[in-house]
Amino acid sequence: MLELKGIYKWVNTGNNRLFLLKDVDLSVKPGEFISIMGPSGSGKSTLLNVIGMLDTFDQGEYTFLHEPVHKLREKQRSGLYKQYIGFVFQAYHLIDELTVYENIETPLIYQDIKTSERKAMVADMLDRFQIVGKKDLFPTQLSGGQQQLVGIARALIAKPKLLLADEPTGNLNSKQGEEIMGLFKELNNEGVTIIQVTHSEKNAGYGTRIINLLDGMIQNN
Amino acid sequence: MIRNYIKIAWRNIVKYRFYSAVNVLGLFAGISFALLIGAYIWSELQVNRQLRKSKNQYILTTISTDPNIGYELATFGPIAKRLKEDYPNLIANYYRYDGITSVVSKGDKHFREGLQVGDSTMLKMYGLKVLYGDAQTALNNPFSVVITEDKAKKYFGKTNVVGETVSIQSFSGGDHAFTVTAVLKELPKNSITNLAKDYPNNFFVSLNAMTYFGRRGIDDWGNMFIASYVEVKDGVTARDIAGPIRQLVEQNVNAQLKKLITVKPVLLSDYYLQQDNGLVKRMLYTLSFVGAFILLMAIVNFINIAISRSGSRLKEIGIRKVLGSLRKQLISQFLTESIILVFVATILALVAYPFLGTLFVQLVGQEVPALYDFPAYFIFLPVVLIIVVGVAAGLYPAFALSAMKSVDSLKGKLKTAKDKILLRKSLVGFQFIIALVVLISAGIVTQQVSYFFSQNLGYDKEFIVSAQAPRDWTPAGVQKMQTIRNEFAKLPEVSNVSLSYEIPNGNNGGQIGAFPYGSDSTKAIALQVLSSDEYYLATYRISLKAGDFLKSTGNIDSSKVVLNEKAVKGLGWKNDEAINQKVKFFGDNTAYTVAGVVSDFHFGSMQQEVPPVVFLNVTRTTSYRFLSFKLKPGNVSGAINAIQNKWSTLLPGTSFEYTFMDDTLKKIYANELQLKRSAYMATCLALIIVFLGVLGLVSLSIHKRIREIGIRKVLGASLPHLIGLFAREFTFIVIAAGLVACPIGWYLMNGWLNNYAYRISIGSQPFIIAILTIVVFTMLLVGLQVVSTVKDNVVKNLKTE
Repeated sequence: MLELKGIYKWVNTGNNRLFLLKDVDLSVKPGEFISIMGPSGSGKSTLLNVIGMLDTFDQGEYTFLHEPVHKLREKQRSGLYKQYIGFVFQAYHLIDELTVYENIETPLIYQDIKTSERKAMVADMLDRFQIVGKKDLFPTQLSGGQQQLVGIARALIAKPKLLLADEPTGNLNSKQGEEIMGLFKELNNEGVTIIQVTHSEKNAGYGTRIINLLDGMIQNN
Repeated sequence: MIRNYIKIAWRNIVKYRFYSAVNVLGLFAGISFALLIGAYIWSELQVNRQLRKSKNQYILTTISTDPNIGYELATFGPIAKRLKEDYPNLIANYYRYDGITSVVSKGDKHFREGLQVGDSTMLKMYGLKVLYGDAQTALNNPFSVVITEDKAKKYFGKTNVVGETVSIQSFSGGDHAFTVTAVLKELPKNSITNLAKDYPNNFFVSLNAMTYFGRRGIDDWGNMFIASYVEVKDGVTARDIAGPIRQLVEQNVNAQLKKLITVKPVLLSDYYLQQDNGLVKRMLYTLSFVGAFILLMAIVNFINIAISRSGSRLKEIGIRKVLGSLRKQLISQFLTESIILVFVATILALVAYPFLGTLFVQLVGQEVPALYDFPAYFIFLPVVLIIVVGVAAGLYPAFALSAMKSVDSLKGKLKTAKDKILLRKSLVGFQFIIALVVLISAGIVTQQVSYFFSQNLGYDKEFIVSAQAPRDWTPAGVQKMQTIRNEFAKLPEVSNVSLSYEIPNGNNGGQIGAFPYGSDSTKAIALQVLSSDEYYLATYRISLKAGDFLKSTGNIDSSKVVLNEKAVKGLGWKNDEAINQKVKFFGDNTAYTVAGVVSDFHFGSMQQEVPPVVFLNVTRTTSYRFLSFKLKPGNVSGAINAIQNKWSTLLPGTSFEYTFMDDTLKKIYANELQLKRSAYMATCLALIIVFLGVLGLVSLSIHKRIREIGIRKVLGASLPHLIGLFAREFTFIVIAAGLVACPIGWYLMNGWLNNYAYRISIGSQPFIIAILTIVVFTMLLVGLQVVSTVKDNVVKNLKTE
């Protein structure tokens, strides 16, 4: 599905070059559920952002669905992730000014999908996550677990092939966390490729593969 | 405490440099403009007030119910003198002059200048400052002349020229030397030496020279063209002298004239503002309104940005409250901040004043006084300005923010966020409305002004140059000028030349009452007289509707006249019928024959209807002023040089001072052109301030929604989407503002256009252009800022939690 080859990312601090990612090689096949683990500052989120094309890298090659990402223009790249990638954040990152319904709908608007079609898709998604009753509420009126559900619904609405999650349960209590992870497992079974960043061994256990990161380098595979 | 306020305020200003800069810039623009306008208004109000005893100085004006009789600026020659003689306890002094223009020469310098042939009282009566010479005796001798500093430099290259001579031409073509007896310090604008606009007088000659110039006696009650001034004794009012004036008119003026005319004394200090139907006054009012609104816009900007920023200040306010700050102290702190910003802006405006002053002169064409020209107590004005504007701008934010509950403030919650947004939007809307009204007005003024200079004049103004010819108003003189005309016409660069008294500049020699021969003289209509030779028609390309134009060569019948269509209609004929009809004029027993009819053309300002016009033959009137040259298209400066050379051989001792027809028109429409330039300036300022406001608001709005931008980008929003997100709210405001501004603009401009007999009809174009301009600029500002934000790393934005 995607392949990273010799990825380097660094920042220059004075005379030193501080490596955020160092010679990362990673290949992900469709249907995998990968957990990236490692201590704080090891580059987990950076790696995830690079994979999600939110962040750039300084050296190396990145192929996503046979497209060389490092050679693409901004616009093509954005087209690519718009179509194939969904994001879930630790802090949910819902838009406070929009209702649950509108939050979920937003990615569809950006893909120029017609109103009637959008309605059906959002209704479907609300139904699936059993949040129909909450569709007119604003994010601040929801609990953390509910917000994250909305976040996941929003990430899935455009039917992405790859779901990226940055500590999706980090702000949730254990019961809510389990629910979310169960949901991820379900999604994975349905064929969505998932890459998550997590601190918890338990959450990592839901995945098919664990990647350990230390100081920007992959330790084992 | 106050030191602490200033310290904290300064830190805040420095910390939020961008917003402070936007605020200061907006205030700077507003205050600078207000200062310039204020200075200009002050200087206009000072006109005639620096004259000695200005509270006692009156001008005698003539108010006539018949527009054909009397001249507002002037009155009966003897009246001022008689007032002083008959009522010495009311009148302290008087000054009268006959205003003429003639050619003044020194060596090979010949220029046409404005002269006042007047009473010797002038220098003493107004306390005019004499640099050299003796004010007491300067105007005693017939061939003495008093000149201004400026003219001394022009003719002699130095100022101390007492005892030197210049020669001044009489109207019969003679030359005589006049000895300079005094040099005046340059005069500020006043209604003595500069009574009629565009005709400044800088040469003052003794009344004894009246006979030399061949002018009608100043002590003749039939002479109604003498500018007259009186100085009353202390405590005497206009009402006190009105009775004596009425009595003098009653005793000396014939019965018919008496009914039509009143002589009215007007205080000189009021006169300048009131003249031309209060033109100056209206202009000053307009400018004050514009100035006040621009300043208001700058203040609104400040308020707007302050409110928008309140969110980021809430925590600070909460903590201060928890720490025990009183509301009063919070208010003081915010006011200190706004006063400091206004202070900085005012200082900048004062520093920039001299530079902006020169710009103002170029743009508006009006001098503004230099800073050192103001009286010393004006130094308090900026102080007052700083405090008033500072408080006005800071008051609302200070009260609104300090009124928040401390717990809410601590949490950084704006409970009444919705109201504030509405208020902010209305404030921005208000700014948009002003900017739109100014923009619309500028557009319509521009259209009307270009209409003045368009092809609808009725004659062809292109390549026409006119120059005043030296006077010799005798049949022989006219004949000589006609010969000279023929010589000029032979120049290959010139296609036509015409000798006439009038050119289409709005000034003509007078009107006569005309009526068809054999009908009742009470049916007479007033015709504007244009005296010209036969080439006028060809030179100005006026079209002939019927019959023939005048003939001034060969077998001349000088009793033939030509009418314009308006005159033909007024006399009750149709174009073709008019030919060979006979007309009679008041006070003239000749029966004139209509030889031809020409189409109507704009002789003066389009403010008035095209008047009915009669062309008289210059060989009959024997008075002329102008030679008009129609140049062949192509090398204009070459043609001017050719005429110049020819002029110096044909008319030695006189100067070729030429004016292009376009410049003549510019003089007619000087006020409109000034209005146009002022409108442009106001437009620029309004736009600058509005866009500073938009800039501030957009940047705040983006700052607040930076996380949202990040999220949306991650969700796949494209750049246009993001720009649209922010542009949407402004689009709505612009449309709402447009709905308010368009009717206001239409109403104001329709009122203005109604002053003109010939006007454009207001189309949709200026409105559309105005709205589009605002929309495009707003979108551009929003776009640029969104782009620069989005370019930043998305991941960084998302971390803003």
